[in-house]
Amino acid sequence: MNTFNYADVKVGDKLPALEIPITASLISCGALATRDFEPCHHDKSVAQGMGLTDVFMNILTSQALMARFVTDWSGPEAVMKGLKVKLGAPNVPGMTMTVSGEIAAKDDAENSVTVEVTGENNIWGMHMSGSVRIALP
Amino acid sequence: MTINISGEAAIVGVANTEFSKNSGVSELELASVAVRDAIADAGLKPSDVDGMTTFTLDNTDEIEIARAVGIGDLTFYSRIPHGGGAATGLIHQAVMAVASEMAEVVVCYRALNGRSGHRYSSGVSGTLLTADAIHWGWYTPYGLMTPASWVAMYTQRYMHLAKDVQDAMFEVAHIQREYAVTNPAAFFYEKPFTRAEYDASRAIVSPFRMLDCCMETDGGSAVVVTTAERAKDLKHPAVIVKGVGQAAAADMESMTSFYRPEIAKIPSMDIAAKVAYQQSGLTPDDIDAAIIYDAFSPIVLWQLESWGFCGELEAPQFVLDGALRPDGRLPTNTHGGQLSEGYIHGVNGIVEAARLVRGTSVNQPAKDIKNVLVTSGVGVPTGGALLGLAD
Amino acid sequence: MTPEEKKAFEDELYTYVGKAIYSAPRKGYDDVNTAMIRQWSEVMGDKNPAYNDSEWAAKSQRGHTIAPPAMMYAWTQEGYKVASEGRPADGQVEMVQFFDRHGFSGSLGTNVDQEYFVEAKPGDSIFEESIIDSISEQKSTARGIGYFFETYAKFTNQDGVLIGTQRFRVFKFIPPVEAATAPAQDGALEVPTRAVSPRGQDNKWWWDACDEGKILIQRCQNCQTLRHPPRPMCGECQSTEWDSIESTLDGEVYSFVEMHHPKFPGYQYPLVVAVIDLAEGTRIIANVVGCEVKDIHIGMKIKGKVEQVDPKTMLPQFYPVAGSAA
Repeated sequence: MNTFNYADVKVGDKLPALEIPITASLISCGALATRDFEPCHHDKSVAQGMGLTDVFMNILTSQALMARFVTDWSGPEAVMKGLKVKLGAPNVPGMTMTVSGEIAAKDDAENSVTVEVTGENNIWGMHMSGSVRIALP
Repeated sequence: MTINISGEAAIVGVANTEFSKNSGVSELELASVAVRDAIADAGLKPSDVDGMTTFTLDNTDEIEIARAVGIGDLTFYSRIPHGGGAATGLIHQAVMAVASEMAEVVVCYRALNGRSGHRYSSGVSGTLLTADAIHWGWYTPYGLMTPASWVAMYTQRYMHLAKDVQDAMFEVAHIQREYAVTNPAAFFYEKPFTRAEYDASRAIVSPFRMLDCCMETDGGSAVVVTTAERAKDLKHPAVIVKGVGQAAAADMESMTSFYRPEIAKIPSMDIAAKVAYQQSGLTPDDIDAAIIYDAFSPIVLWQLESWGFCGELEAPQFVLDGALRPDGRLPTNTHGGQLSEGYIHGVNGIVEAARLVRGTSVNQPAKDIKNVLVTSGVGVPTGGALLGLAD
Repeated sequence: MTPEEKKAFEDELYTYVGKAIYSAPRKGYDDVNTAMIRQWSEVMGDKNPAYNDSEWAAKSQRGHTIAPPAMMYAWTQEGYKVASEGRPADGQVEMVQFFDRHGFSGSLGTNVDQEYFVEAKPGDSIFEESIIDSISEQKSTARGIGYFFETYAKFTNQDGVLIGTQRFRVFKFIPPVEAATAPAQDGALEVPTRAVSPRGQDNKWWWDACDEGKILIQRCQNCQTLRHPPRPMCGECQSTEWDSIESTLDGEVYSFVEMHHPKFPGYQYPLVVAVIDLAEGTRIIANVVGCEVKDIHIGMKIKGKVEQVDPKTMLPQFYPVAGSAA
């Protein structure tokens, strides 16, 4: 697996979009893999009591998918420096989330790029938007 | 027999409620408070009122307000369609009513929980089979479904024909914010912005950024109109209605008149201006200040052309020369406008226009103000009024 | 709340600012370990060899595997007790319960900002120290009225080295009454489609033809004048007799906008809507697609075709004529 060199990327470069089917498995297993045992992420009756149709994705899973989206592109030698996420509409089973991103800035001092990332689901629109700062070799 | 209504009627009382993102009260309460305070400002009693007029869009029945405020018998009531296009249409109605003796004291009002309740920016939708729904159906399937999107369509065309439009849009938005910064009643009191912040503000519909768009507001405004004769004995100097015009030009659609030979202009406002100038005998040179409807920054530019303050496509230069500033040729939207004071569908603008004539605006320009223009929303059937001191 | 009650509530609320959430730095129950990293990577679909491929990692710049930085906050989480017994008391729970008691029972994580300084590796212990860093003034949002609070956490390892920090912002609000009283039911999610154009007597024929792939232009049978959008009478000669012709959909951009915000479910972005001059002499409003937005300009030659834009909707979509973009 190759890693992008800092010199080879420029502001405005787009990352390959990623489509993620949102399933009850992804939501509940993602919650457990991030040790988030809040019942609304694995118990449908609790989520329905909150007015949603089904369990919904926890924040740490959204963050994880955002991070994965960027390192899938950058390659494994890249070093993540920061991750900012703003949450929008919930992800619930049956949706598809499309994650897309673009290089918004380069920092020569740190050899890092800031990738602006959005994840939109096909039903309610914006699920997450934010940025990942990652240093490249 | 024809009568010229010029000089027959006057605005004698004005009031706004507080402007906020969440009034916490009903629209009936907002309207009642604005109406009550405007009557009190005139030095009149609720029982003096015998006419009421508002927007078809207003959710509150005039008789509900009349009951709440203690207004007695009504002999005149009416409503004007087309959203903000109705603003000075209320003055038009009131003036006709008092000039024809259908009523003696008419209250014009508009109140809405525009932020915490229904938001116009959320767009139009619905499946009711009305002529209106069929009209929107030519646009919404393509995504053209917010007021910003309809006005942006005219703006793109205007940018194609005129120079420096973006800079002029910034100047309009910026000078109005500067006025709001010193208006304690304004939503954006003490909240200035810079060109860099304007350029960086969120894209809404290209070519509009967030700071080109007004912010929806909860609030109410009201003005009281009576005969010029009765106005002489009241609390404040009478703000005489010298001319008022209303117009829907040929080939009009509500917000989407995209089928005229050229769309970078406002023919309805051209007609309203002509009518108002004719009635009043005034010319653009006689107008000292203006309140120009500003749901979006560029619509101020087109109206400056309609009212003859500059030639066609020359508004950007007029504005960039500083004309709208406190010491400029035409201090404009001195309350901060709807972009920065509050969005009460232009009726807060009538309140401010009356204050400019009285000499009591919070940002009263240093020069003498004899005559003030105030306009209604555009893109829809519209209008405008020329207000001033008695000769 | 009356103004007096609000003041009393806020006076007590703001005493939470600056309070530590845990009485002492909280140590993760387990040290950073390959089992939890593997489970996380599997679920997230993350195939990064830096996390799970020790052979690859040995030859990499780092020389060893690391934990995904985004797992930072996972290591110190409470665990299953949250579901079985409820979240154990701590400074944040105490404040949240204070909010709940005063009706601000809605809770929504809105923002998380993490900074990473050192990559954690298997065997590291993770310690978290957190405080309630700030509470906003009362805000009114689309969700309701409430307060944003922000926690600030520092994560260190067994050597006391700061590996990262986190700001976590939560909105506590008074939930709307309907949501609290109407639990949701099972049901398939309805995939949104474009706004439906209502069909009445004067326009149904036009949309029906569009569904069949044709764009028609109404024509006065008396004076032959074309008109669009359709209406029952000719404005030129007042005749109510009409037929129609089919447009070739050869056109030119007369004006256009790009829609950014708010985004509407069921629409594809970037989304450009144009007023289009058709060769027949009437105008139509439709989308321009098939090119970069920056290349669209007034006067651009375009050609339309009627396409299925979603499972329920047929619409004319216009493409640049070769050589006309750019």
